[in-house]
Amino acid sequence: MITDVVEDRLLITSDIHLGSFSCHAGGPFTRFFEFACTNGFNICINGDGIDVLHTTLGHITREVSRLLSNLKHILRTQTQIYYVIGNHDIVLEHFLSDWGSVRLLPFLNVTSGNLRIRVEHGHLYDPFFMKHPDLQSALTRFMGIFLHMKPHWYSWHNTFRKIRYRKPEAVQSERSKDGSLIIPGQNPAFIQAADELARRGFDYVVMGHTHAPGMFDLTGGKKYVNTGSWFRRPHYVKIENGTLELKPWNG
Amino acid sequence: MAVKDLGERDYAKWDTIVREGDLGTEMFIIQEGKVVVTKKVGDNEVFLATLERGDFFGEMSLLESVPRTATVRAIMPSKLLAIRAGELLMKFRRDPTFAFEMLQRMSSRVRQLNEQVVQLMQLDQITREELQKLSLRAEFFERKDKE
Repeated sequence: MITDVVEDRLLITSDIHLGSFSCHAGGPFTRFFEFACTNGFNICINGDGIDVLHTTLGHITREVSRLLSNLKHILRTQTQIYYVIGNHDIVLEHFLSDWGSVRLLPFLNVTSGNLRIRVEHGHLYDPFFMKHPDLQSALTRFMGIFLHMKPHWYSWHNTFRKIRYRKPEAVQSERSKDGSLIIPGQNPAFIQAADELARRGFDYVVMGHTHAPGMFDLTGGKKYVNTGSWFRRPHYVKIENGTLELKPWNG
Repeated sequence: MAVKDLGERDYAKWDTIVREGDLGTEMFIIQEGKVVVTKKVGDNEVFLATLERGDFFGEMSLLESVPRTATVRAIMPSKLLAIRAGELLMKFRRDPTFAFEMLQRMSSRVRQLNEQVVQLMQLDQITREELQKLSLRAEFFERKDKE
């Protein structure tokens, strides 16, 4: 399994939740995929690309039928797809390997120009997931059914998270009284994990999982980037010849 | 060498980070810069590898409590993260994929060493065959001379 790659042109996104009854990202993501392939970008799906916990084979096949029919053409264009495993598709860990144009990975280390970038979904730093993985999986399944019936509950969940982690629209990180790093709107556990990862010589740590997009400062001039989710406003990271940008996807 | 907070250390160009034969209980992760690994073979110092950002070294002394098996020098100003024996498990807990990456790199090193052993054995076989041929030839000419 090769987890260290050199990339000049790479797009990273996460939490597409393809197949989820409440997300409906199939169409926009197919356009994103086509944009990447026609502009010579490789693609990294940083976890929760396929929502195995919230879907059925029939539903996902209908949602991604255009994407699947395009895959044949895409595979001919030699676009490399890196698929990093998340918690909603954790079952795919059984297939961690290189499958030609698609590479299934637990994380990805990207070198682009002088930049070193760590790409990881982030569920391993979610305290609830690490303590009760089975319970979280069961609750996630339940929430999938619930959101299918009451989609507006997702915005209530977002509001709750914003209140819990304070000032979600602020983009500057700050330090708590005990000196640990806090980023408004983000669970401190993820920021501490990103800080720990960055100390291994990464300039950027790109994660998903929290569904809260943004780019934040870590210690020593390093950056934490979160690509959010495709439930609301999709975001992606564009890496081009040693530069990194976080952009919204409006396609 | 300048020691900073949280195990971070700065080294100037040509500073020796670890010396072969010394006792040491730390491993290092390269945050910035580049280092060279060398080993003494007889009177010569043999080049083993160049390591860059993200690479690590010194794990053998930390894991097995043995003296350093090679010398490592900075070949440009470098910043390293030192992890002491008592901090390794905590590092794995905070950063679990680091354990995965350590095993991945060590597995890769074992595979490369196995390949080198096979190559050396093949070379040894060829050398033996050549030596045998040479000795047969010498024997042949010796007999001919006698005749």
